[in-house]
Amino acid sequence: MNPITRRYFFSKTANGIGVAALASLLGGEARAERTGGLDGVPHFAPKAKRVIYLFQSGGPSQMELFDYKPKIKDVAGVDLPESVRMGQRLTSMSASQSKFPMAPSKYAFRQHGQSGAWVSELLPHTAKIADELTFIKSMNTEAINHDPAVTLLQTGFQIAGRPSIGAWLAYGLGAETKELPAFVVMISPGQGGGGQPLYDRLWGSGFLPTRFQGVKFRSVGDPVLYLTDPPGVSRDLRREYLDSLESLNRMKLDETGDPEVSTRIAQYEMAFRMQSSVPELTDLSKEPAGTFELYGEDARKPGTFAANCLLARRLAERGVRFIQLFHRDWDHHGNLPKDLPKRCKETDQAAAALVTDLKQRGMLDDTLVVWGGEFGRTVYCQGRLTADDYGRDHHPRCFTVWLAGGGVQPGVTHGETDDFCYNTVKDPVHVHDLQATILHCLGIDHTRLTYKFQGRYFRLTDVRGEVVRPVLKA
Amino acid sequence: MKILAVCLFTALAVRAADVEFNRDVRPILSDNCFTCHGPDAANRKSPVRFDVEESARKAIVAGDPAASPLYKRISSDNRGMRMPPAYAGKSKLSDKDIAVIRRWIEQGAKWQQHWAFIPPVRPAVPAGQNAIDYLVRTRLEQEGLNPAPEADRATLLRRVSLDLTGLPPTPEDAAAFLRDASPAAYERAVDRLLASPRYAERMAMRWLDAARYSDTNGYQSDGPRDMWRWRDWVIDAFHRNMPFDRFTIEQLAGDLLPNATRDQRIATGFQRNHRTSAEGGIVEEEFRVEYVADRAETTATVWLGVTLGCARCHDHKYDPFKQRDFYRMFAFYNNVPERGLVYNFGNEEPMIKAPLPEHERALAEYDEKVKAARTHWDALQPALAKAQHAWEKSLAKSPKLDWNIEGGQVLHAALSKDGERTGRAFDGKDGYDAGKGANFDYRDAYTVSAWIKPEAPDGAILSRAEDYWEGAGYMLLLKNGRVRLHEGLRFTDIYLRLETENAVPMNQWTHVALTFDGYRKAKGVHIYFNGVEQKFKVDFDELTYGFGSADRPFKVGAGGGLRFKGRIDDVRAYNVPLTAREVATLPILESINELARIPPPNRTEAQRDKLTFCYLDRFAPTELREARNHLLAAEKARRLYYDSIPTVMVMQEGPPRQAYILKRGAYDAHGDPVSPGTPEVLPAMKSGWPADRLGLARWLVDRSNPLTARVTVNRFWQMMFGTGIVKTVQDFGSQGDPPSNQELLDWLAVEFMDSGWNVQHIMKTIVMSAAYRQDSKVTPDLLQRDPENRLLARGPRFRLPAEMIRDQALAVSGLLVEKTGGPSVRPYQPPGLWQELSGGGGYRQDHGEGLYRRSLYTYWKRTVAPPSMVNFDAPTRETCTVRETRTNTPLQALDLMNDIAYVEAARRLAERMMTEGGASEESRIGYGWRLALARPPRAREAGVALAALRKFEARFARDPQGAVALLNEGDSLWNRSLDAPTLAAYTGVASLLLNLDEMVTKE
Repeated sequence: MNPITRRYFFSKTANGIGVAALASLLGGEARAERTGGLDGVPHFAPKAKRVIYLFQSGGPSQMELFDYKPKIKDVAGVDLPESVRMGQRLTSMSASQSKFPMAPSKYAFRQHGQSGAWVSELLPHTAKIADELTFIKSMNTEAINHDPAVTLLQTGFQIAGRPSIGAWLAYGLGAETKELPAFVVMISPGQGGGGQPLYDRLWGSGFLPTRFQGVKFRSVGDPVLYLTDPPGVSRDLRREYLDSLESLNRMKLDETGDPEVSTRIAQYEMAFRMQSSVPELTDLSKEPAGTFELYGEDARKPGTFAANCLLARRLAERGVRFIQLFHRDWDHHGNLPKDLPKRCKETDQAAAALVTDLKQRGMLDDTLVVWGGEFGRTVYCQGRLTADDYGRDHHPRCFTVWLAGGGVQPGVTHGETDDFCYNTVKDPVHVHDLQATILHCLGIDHTRLTYKFQGRYFRLTDVRGEVVRPVLKA
Repeated sequence: MKILAVCLFTALAVRAADVEFNRDVRPILSDNCFTCHGPDAANRKSPVRFDVEESARKAIVAGDPAASPLYKRISSDNRGMRMPPAYAGKSKLSDKDIAVIRRWIEQGAKWQQHWAFIPPVRPAVPAGQNAIDYLVRTRLEQEGLNPAPEADRATLLRRVSLDLTGLPPTPEDAAAFLRDASPAAYERAVDRLLASPRYAERMAMRWLDAARYSDTNGYQSDGPRDMWRWRDWVIDAFHRNMPFDRFTIEQLAGDLLPNATRDQRIATGFQRNHRTSAEGGIVEEEFRVEYVADRAETTATVWLGVTLGCARCHDHKYDPFKQRDFYRMFAFYNNVPERGLVYNFGNEEPMIKAPLPEHERALAEYDEKVKAARTHWDALQPALAKAQHAWEKSLAKSPKLDWNIEGGQVLHAALSKDGERTGRAFDGKDGYDAGKGANFDYRDAYTVSAWIKPEAPDGAILSRAEDYWEGAGYMLLLKNGRVRLHEGLRFTDIYLRLETENAVPMNQWTHVALTFDGYRKAKGVHIYFNGVEQKFKVDFDELTYGFGSADRPFKVGAGGGLRFKGRIDDVRAYNVPLTAREVATLPILESINELARIPPPNRTEAQRDKLTFCYLDRFAPTELREARNHLLAAEKARRLYYDSIPTVMVMQEGPPRQAYILKRGAYDAHGDPVSPGTPEVLPAMKSGWPADRLGLARWLVDRSNPLTARVTVNRFWQMMFGTGIVKTVQDFGSQGDPPSNQELLDWLAVEFMDSGWNVQHIMKTIVMSAAYRQDSKVTPDLLQRDPENRLLARGPRFRLPAEMIRDQALAVSGLLVEKTGGPSVRPYQPPGLWQELSGGGGYRQDHGEGLYRRSLYTYWKRTVAPPSMVNFDAPTRETCTVRETRTNTPLQALDLMNDIAYVEAARRLAERMMTEGGASEESRIGYGWRLALARPPRAREAGVALAALRKFEARFARDPQGAVALLNEGDSLWNRSLDAPTLAAYTGVASLLLNLDEMVTKE
């Protein structure tokens, strides 16, 4: 290797820019240690090494799933009192409604496990692992529409342009693999066939360099875009091809002395390895039958939430830092009793299986699993309220997320909402607090993971965020 | 970023000789002190400010660091004393920074106003010297560095071709250039490139990023829009070398120029390119404010190079911009008659028709046809009158004829026996199901009418909608006796709702009719009582989504959860909007015979019309009927063609809207009212200028403005050298990087203005300089001292932008379709990318020429931007982006090796090598090199390529089916006269060429 280049790399690395991966590649070391990341990060000993975020896009109803409110039955159909709404701004979908009749959950709740956590009959599998979970029932946000709300949750700011949480972690912590990206995203549509659209910027790198953006693993076509060689090109041929390419690029390196050329050579090698490692990763055929009993038969179908949960475990095993699943179609403005059970059925077993599986493999201790959407839903009915049909509008003041593993205290319920499931009455947790807490589990002080852009030091939590200590393990 | 600062400041600041405040000291103070001792009054923690000289002096004793509180505090080891304070989580300044401050104080603590806010002055350059080279060399000499020799001619031609046109030279271009030994050869090549339309496209690429140009709206719904006419305006402006001051004025305020031309209005699309939201349920004002703020921020970034957006929620923490300054800039853009929730399937108001010359020609032909048909029809009027008269006479004897307008009628519920006007009784409980006709959706034109005799003021007249108050569909209701239209998907936010001012009388028959032109807006609705047009008030004008009524019946007397009490008769629906004169005939109860018996002078206009319409419809001679139908058909064809002419969203001044300082930036937290104005710290607008966008635009390009010219030439410099003279091209404020060579920046800025803001002149001046023409080889010493080549001791060498990588592959393979402008095209994209995020029909890939146009014409969907562009660091166009970034990733390698676009380009390049490159393997490889890299291969390169070719050939000879499979990639057919395994092997070599570092790099 060209001596200039080597020195360049090591000086760069010493300055804390994430090319350690390349330096080790070029040096030929093969250990799968951390690649990329900043010097000095993590700031303190982490509890979790990685995060699997099961994002439920659209805003699942907290009232039907976790936040048990029996008293709403007594006021069914009654208009939401202004003393509860307290001037809360509503989306323009329901702001001009003439009435705000309260709708109780149709679904039964029961307490589960030692912790006695309330879980709806819609989530029987989740109920079984209730003791592994920590519920935050007092989540809140300012946003009342999907785009700003999801953007806030993903980037810490309602307006597009900032890095997503996964990109922050790829930047700060890098990955523990050389063959896979630090940040992987998988999407499942929900069998309702609709739901709110997602957008690439939700896992984008914002103003961070684009190499930190989430790489989407797809269930149709190439799992990673352009991964597969064209028809007629065998692996052997590709190898010969890359050897020739490297010879030619090395001549260029010798001629120009430009270290970018050696980076490019290394990137082609990484690409070649990804061509083997990604198909191996996404090939579920060697998973034992027990796996599919655990995750459900859906896990055999590429592109389902269940298959993505299983892939998430495989990605976690291979050192990917931040794995984010998006399940669409939780936006139940109407027809909630028809659609909500379907989303639950699509996700319940696999989400619980993932936690169980990680635990069985001894990985739950250092893997943080997060389940939740971008906001909650209103106690009052949007549109028609009939005996068997109702809908709920977006609600920013409270919603429920659960956490498992990686540094959080299992069996805890944190925060409390009022009898109408409208206002938080105890321990409110803002989106920025959740973000700070996730970073904390990874050993990161959220105020110190910053990036200077346009003259300002930006961070995921903008100017706020408090770690939610009561949910953490001592 | 950090590294550069370290290296360069090692290069710069270690020169002990003289510390310069702006270059060396202000960045330290800004980064470490301004947050609490700076411009933001609300957050200032102490009376001492370090952004203002007078205040800072209180903490500085010139010449005596030890007596200066500033120095004492920053150098203190006492945690309680030390600044920046430990309690704020700040660590001590670095020894180097402390040393810089000490030396600065020792040297007299000379203060300077922030450099960027002082107008540039042309630095003195010795006569006869190239100014760029003189200034670059002077800087290099200070560093003890020497410039590099000139690059070899082949490299130079490729460099300047890529820089000026985004395309590589052809082998012919290269050969001609190498043959031309005259000293003017290079300049001739430059002039040729500047004159090419490809130059204009290349310049437009970066402007589209700055303008956040896109083919979709952005935000989550991300529906389509049509702004390509604006994009083509930009290309045309660069091609005609429009002076940059005019380029600015027309884009920001073309509509406000006296006698604004259509082109000048199209230009204002610049400030409509921002994202817009069509997400149901949003609060309109929240998003409208967001659009206005985007315009203000984009103006600040593109022209002023300052982060004015930081002052949106509070005073700027580093630069002297108050929150008030932001909202005064905001106020310039606050009067657009626009909405927060936009239409998701096309352009939103304000917009204009933007026909191309070909559209205007065709439209003129349609007009001619209409005119001819009308002339013909007019000429037949006497004949019509005569024939009709005879017919009317004959009616006296014929049986009774009841007739109403029939053209376009799709539903008729008579509800009474013929000839009776009793109607059907409705009891307020049940409606009448009139079948599945009249299935109109939101973009359908229609007419509905009925006779009603209400007994209660509330009820439903007719509907095709869900049967509850907020249900989807369309319904004609009675509320307090007033006639109300509900039409839309969701009657809380996505719908049209309007109501007549007058009420219909109770217990009395009234004929009610409503017509709608199908253009989604309340202004296309007309309501009539007994044929007389009624005024109505519009409650909601948000008909933006389809509502699909297919599975619901057309109901009379029911809808929206309401029921009618009284009688209804003769309900009709048409799939056309009847004219006022046609509607006026509907309430006429007399039979045609009865009308005919009225003496002509005694007939009302409506009665006359009804007779004529009936006659023309049923009884007129063929010639008359054909002439009339011909006129109607010509008018319809003209209308349909007119509807197909592209539109473009533009700026427009509506009624003034008071702007306010928004506390914490929140849309609904009004603070003090503000009027339009420019930031206080910059020179004021001249008194004669209007306080509107036109005044703003003039101010931006006024000589007194210290920023616009510098910021603009700095972006041009970035295009050529990869990094701006000010690296932070978007931030010339105190947190930005200081210029690596301010004299050079200022010379270019002044030259730019003196030349009449001549863009081509500046581009030419840059590429003619020796600094630009240097060899780009890197030496170890240089790499260590100046890794980003800020000092320019060598020529630029960096990876090409995304568009150029693809365009170059298309060009060298011969696939490129060189055509300027037009609607965006849809080249290859992996299937399913749109659907997996948002469902729907997804991306419809083009076939034919759309696959091979230059990348700036690729359809740009913001939320799922073209992956082969984003892979190579193209910004997603969510917001204004001016900084060019370059990464180097494995995904890029996969893209170049496996993307069907590159596989096809490699195959076509291989075909060229085999068919145009001579007979021998060597000459074909050599030709491939010349096509791809504009130079012959070196012997070792040719050797590697030849060995690869033979290996590939051996493999494909064993696997001829594999060879064919490879060759079948892409829409274009492979050349069947060539041997498949051989062509496949050449395809492999051609792919090697397309993947070479040199290929994707400007050297």
